[in-house]
Amino acid sequence: MARYIAQRLLQIILTFFLFLALSYMLLEAMPGDFSQLFLQDPKLTLAQREAIAASLGLNRPPHERFFRYIGSFLRGDLGVSFQYYPRPVVDVILERAPRTLMLFISSTVVSFYVGFFVGKLLAWRRGRVLEYITTVGGVTLYTVFTPWFGLLMIWLFAFTLDWFPIGKFITPRLWRDAPVEANVVFNRMLLTALVVSIVLLTWFILTRRIDTRRRRVVHWGGMGLGLAVVVGIWGASGLGPYALNILHHLMLPVLTLTLISFAGTMLLTRNSMLETLREDYITTARAKGLPEKVIRDKHAARNAMLPVVTSLVFSLAFALSGGVITEGVFSWPGMGEVLLTSAVVQDIPMMMGALIFTAIFALLAHLVVDILYAFLDPRIRYG
Amino acid sequence: MSETILRVENLTMHYTTRAGIVSAVDDVSFTLDEGESLGLVGESGCGKTSVANSLLKLLADNAVIKGGQIRFKGTDFVPLSEEEMRPYRWRNISMVFQAAMNSLNPVYRVGDQIIEALETHLGLYSHAQARQRVTELFTMVGLDPALMDQYPHEYSGGMRQRAVIAMALSCNPDLVIADEPTTALDVIVQDALLRQLKTLQEMIGMSMIYISHDIAVIAEVSDRIGVMYAGKLVELASADEIFHHPVHPYTVALMSAFPSVTGPKRELQTLAGEPPNLLYPPSGCRFHPRCPFATEICRQQEPEFKDHGGGHYAACWHPQEVTV
Amino acid sequence: MATEERHNPFATAQPAGDGTTLDQQERERLRAQPLWRVRLKLLAGTLWNNWKLFTENKIGLIGLAIILFYAGLALAHPLLMGRVWDPLIYDPVIGFDPLAAPHPAPPSAQHWLGTDPLGRDVLSQLMFSTASEFILGMVAALITVTIGTSIGALAAYFGGWIDTFFMRLADLVITLPAIVLLIVLGGLFTLDLPLLALVIGILSGFGATTVIIKSQALTIKVRTYVEAAWVAGGSHWHIILRHIIPNLLPLTFLYMMFTVTDAIFAEAILSYFGLLNIRMSWGLMIHTTQSAGYLLNFQTWWLIVPPGLSITLLCAAFYLVGRALDEVVNPRLRKR
Ligand SMILES: Nc1ncnc2c1ncn2[C@@H]1O[C@H](COP(=O)(O)OP(=O)(O)OP(=O)(O)O)[C@@H](O)[C@H]1O
Ligand code: SF4
Ligand SMILES: [Mg+2]
Repeated sequence: MARYIAQRLLQIILTFFLFLALSYMLLEAMPGDFSQLFLQDPKLTLAQREAIAASLGLNRPPHERFFRYIGSFLRGDLGVSFQYYPRPVVDVILERAPRTLMLFISSTVVSFYVGFFVGKLLAWRRGRVLEYITTVGGVTLYTVFTPWFGLLMIWLFAFTLDWFPIGKFITPRLWRDAPVEANVVFNRMLLTALVVSIVLLTWFILTRRIDTRRRRVVHWGGMGLGLAVVVGIWGASGLGPYALNILHHLMLPVLTLTLISFAGTMLLTRNSMLETLREDYITTARAKGLPEKVIRDKHAARNAMLPVVTSLVFSLAFALSGGVITEGVFSWPGMGEVLLTSAVVQDIPMMMGALIFTAIFALLAHLVVDILYAFLDPRIRYG
Repeated sequence: MSETILRVENLTMHYTTRAGIVSAVDDVSFTLDEGESLGLVGESGCGKTSVANSLLKLLADNAVIKGGQIRFKGTDFVPLSEEEMRPYRWRNISMVFQAAMNSLNPVYRVGDQIIEALETHLGLYSHAQARQRVTELFTMVGLDPALMDQYPHEYSGGMRQRAVIAMALSCNPDLVIADEPTTALDVIVQDALLRQLKTLQEMIGMSMIYISHDIAVIAEVSDRIGVMYAGKLVELASADEIFHHPVHPYTVALMSAFPSVTGPKRELQTLAGEPPNLLYPPSGCRFHPRCPFATEICRQQEPEFKDHGGGHYAACWHPQEVTV
Repeated sequence: MATEERHNPFATAQPAGDGTTLDQQERERLRAQPLWRVRLKLLAGTLWNNWKLFTENKIGLIGLAIILFYAGLALAHPLLMGRVWDPLIYDPVIGFDPLAAPHPAPPSAQHWLGTDPLGRDVLSQLMFSTASEFILGMVAALITVTIGTSIGALAAYFGGWIDTFFMRLADLVITLPAIVLLIVLGGLFTLDLPLLALVIGILSGFGATTVIIKSQALTIKVRTYVEAAWVAGGSHWHIILRHIIPNLLPLTFLYMMFTVTDAIFAEAILSYFGLLNIRMSWGLMIHTTQSAGYLLNFQTWWLIVPPGLSITLLCAAFYLVGRALDEVVNPRLRKR
């Protein structure tokens, strides 16, 4: 297992350097060069221009520039953003990344769970009508033009039903006399989510081996207790309403992103489950006279999950793409939104920063999936 | 005479496929006594596995039981629902599958997969007790009990097969069906395992149905033998009768193709042609296209499966009188 | 195993797709004909069988119907222009209808889908854009398939560092969200339609398609007949071109469908965000609506519903056809 993870880690680092090289080649291939962009930009002062030109080493030979590029990346220096001048790119990323993480992780977890659950049931009960409806619905959600879908969601939930605000991060009116900045509250929320999931995960692992009949009560009890503690702490801190305001804004983008990405998992689970159901050990499980639910969940679904987790890598990229678009549509000020605006105004350092961030994030997610897979498959865990 | 525990009457089972209906089991009848072992033999694709799976109603989605009865200790399984079948499965009748290599779930420890059956049927929820039972079973089939905490991929083929047998015996069933339990293994392991299975059967006193395409394997372990051809049971008699006085031309051919270990070496008389496609079974006697004794009536009418004296059943218009 | 090969339209040594072998007489008759004609017949036979398999899946047929509908729209546009529609009024880019003002005007007898904020006919724009969506999709798919098949076959056949390099590359392409990359490219370069087709073709060609085709090529490589060809002294290229690649074609055809979906989707997204240099497209129609400030004005639904729905439908259609083909190529998914 350790060897497997080490090997994957090495591969991922290799892949990342391949990425750096390719991204550098892209910059080189850009028509004209960097400096012209600034020379034409009337907003920049001469000093700024020179500073940028020097930091880019534009008159050096290509290979030297490449090593500079790698070197400055390793030092954590991604340059200075044009549109947020003089803020360094890294600074902007640090501010925005948590918002994207929150959006992305919550919708990915929910959509995986829901997609897996529905897909599993679909394969188990193969009804004609239901199958057509869910397949067509699933494919529609999977291929729907995301901005259009986002607009439909806004129209339905924000305009017609008036359940959620239309977009953005916070309601400025409410925050005028808030004791702290929105970002502080938000980061605290993120921390809470992290702590809660770690605690719950440990709880589930610790109680894994207890008697089948009592396990359920223990699990749900633990979860309820955890939530109660969280609500209590936030209530006492007096920041509760502000956190709720952010959550309220987060809801619609999460819902949208969840809907477009759950369908992929659902269709995949269905196929994987159909194949698993033909395995001999499923016949054995039936022959053993196990209850249907046990055959479905414990034997079939548990194995059907393996290929679904493998292809999570694909779904992650899909969800990241969807996330960028969703942020754009809902003006959720995360990394995706910054990527879009910087592409439109040709804020190249910021854009490359966002790209590098995405690559690191995607590759890390890839690694997480690989580790998860190793945990799920004893053939790798003890291989 | 011991009690009859299983009585199969006129069992007929079809698979519906896009190409048409495959009549995999056609009008099959036999009985099985307590403690008795019955061998089912026949070429690949003749419907042995289909019969075995029908007995527990472990049917594929596209399979339908068209008619007949499966009476186990008086209860007919045919009209029962999946849920009503559950208590009988494994508790009364268990199976060792043809693909035993793959009949263990790869993501669970082998011991846990046995314990699961114990929990379901014997209500053995206490972990310690259940492990005790698994230890017993493992010792019984000749496996190191320490192996129970390992995963199937850590087992060799022979070990897996033993584990599957241990699992089949776990709930003390009345009947174990072993569907080609040894085909995937090498000859030496095959032999040892088969003998052990036989010993276990005698020790526990359960009934068994052995299935194989190899009559030599069947002969070693069965009291009675049923010969299947193209979805039909064509001959059923004691092992002795089948060996020395086969009646059905197909059995005769099978017997002469089987080199005798003791007697003088005989000419291998091979059967011409291939087994029929069960999508379009031949009219009349299904064996007629390959039968050297076929006449007009064989082509037109199905022979009845009837007693030729002393419980020797066969379905043939022109029963043979050979002594091998 | 047998079924798998049976439905692989290019692996047919035995002709009939339902698995029945030809009887002796038929075989004799076939032998009397020139080889190419026999081959053609076999191909027609398998195509027919696969078509029958395909039509069993209603979902695939729905997809095909949608594709045909839009193809019809694309073909009808040049016919309508100039004959029925006055170019001055109905031109998708520079047309303007002074009579229908104020713009955007709701659907009417003259403008079935209304007009956009600049006074142009929405239906004409919709139909005009369709053709470029098809061309974009097809070109991208062809590039993907060419790259995917050759790289996949090479990586599987030669293994070694070629394999390692391309698989790392594929890993990268798979992990990186394509839309993010395209947005960056849109920021760096002036992307137009041909360039976009090329980029998408390359991206999906070096990504998942290669991995899947490679694994398929590996199984073909170990199949006996390739080994036989090897023993019989076929050169590398002969084996790759005559044995491996033809057997990969059904799978690559399948992946073409998915690439078309991706390409149409990507074009729409880039146009929508204003990152594509294009005269008219479905995505651009929504972009125009947005720039004119009508995006969140849900009374003017005719500005966003037709293009939004069209993008969704056409993407879904190619995806559905792909899935239905998947069931033909990959019999494990099929019901009996
Ligand atoms: N699920 C199914 N759908 C359609 N046909 C099937 C199915 N399962 C088995 N068959 C067909 O039914 C016939 C009997 O199959 P069965 O597996 O019972 O034979 P068998 O005697 O056990 O053969 P083997 O020795 O190869 O295991 C075969 O012709 C087989 O092709
Ligand atoms: S019935 Fe006729 S064809 Fe069938 S086995 Fe007997 S002799 Fe042969
Ligand atoms: Mg069998």
